[in-house]
Amino acid sequence: MPYFPQWEVADLRYERQLLIPQIGQEGQEKLEKAKVTVIGAGGLGSPVLTYLVSAGVGKIQIVDCDVVSESNLNRQFLHHTGDVGRPKVLSAQEKLVSLNPDVALSTVNKRLNQENIEECIIGSDVVVDCVDNIETRVMVASACIQLNIPLVEGGVLGFYGYVIDIGRDYPCLSCLGYDKAKQKTPVPVLGVTAGVIGCMQANECIKLLLGIGEPLYGRMLNYDGLSGTWEEVKVEKAKNCAVHKNAETGKNGEFYWNGGK
Amino acid sequence: MIEVRLFATFREKRDKVYFLEQKDFKNAGEIIDYFRIPREEVAILLINGVYSPIDTSVKDGDILALFPPVGGG
Ligand SMILES: [Zn+2]
Repeated sequence: MPYFPQWEVADLRYERQLLIPQIGQEGQEKLEKAKVTVIGAGGLGSPVLTYLVSAGVGKIQIVDCDVVSESNLNRQFLHHTGDVGRPKVLSAQEKLVSLNPDVALSTVNKRLNQENIEECIIGSDVVVDCVDNIETRVMVASACIQLNIPLVEGGVLGFYGYVIDIGRDYPCLSCLGYDKAKQKTPVPVLGVTAGVIGCMQANECIKLLLGIGEPLYGRMLNYDGLSGTWEEVKVEKAKNCAVHKNAETGKNGEFYWNGGK
Repeated sequence: MIEVRLFATFREKRDKVYFLEQKDFKNAGEIIDYFRIPREEVAILLINGVYSPIDTSVKDGDILALFPPVGGG
């Protein structure tokens, strides 16, 4: 058995992506220096975390306050049957450390609220939103715009889903009027749909970290798993968006979600 | 002509895209009613990519996009 110094082993791990001209050694180093916060370690979080960890993103923070329940297992593949009852952040961390011990994983087992969200995401190069409710989505988007952190947003319903990138200069969920929406629970979700959308979110995250390709800013990409189609809808910043206005006037710590009223 | 694009569960038992005569509708809300979609189920209503209140009047050539809440994770 030949002896491989650590760097050669690392190179082998990423060998196939180092061969991609848009990544290469320089891109890989960028990924290794990056810090990403993934909010939600569930149906979307499972593929997002798996692919960011396997790609070698240097620092990943996992935020989730839930414990694994049996009804999660159809889509949240980081959690296995024996994990039912355990905190999701621990269950996820265990699988991800085993997948790639080189990634620095940190966990936040807390419910996010308006008081702690900025502190939680500050310093992240990109935030990936993998939550399951509109209230948290809007809160995360507000905080990202406030702190000027790019946000990859995705959501699923049954066989359908969407992905969009959000930023201070680009439309957010409140620009689309989504902060007024009411969602019925539990939300129907096929595991595959969350897998498809989560993979797209991971891809967007990697693009944003590397500064390559065309991020989905202002482009809501909609997936229909029944017809097997993707449709892009161009969306614009709303002139009177409270979240954007708030960020531009530099007011801190105020988020606009009207409770679905 | 107004183009209406339905997304996610709104396209079940319906088509994905409809072309409607502008003169039959005063505003976006009447178009939503035409599809028998309860107004409160519309999470996102875009006219030409811009968020629009439900009473926004519609004009020839407008493209509407209607989404239910796709908020699961
Ligand atoms: Zn906005």
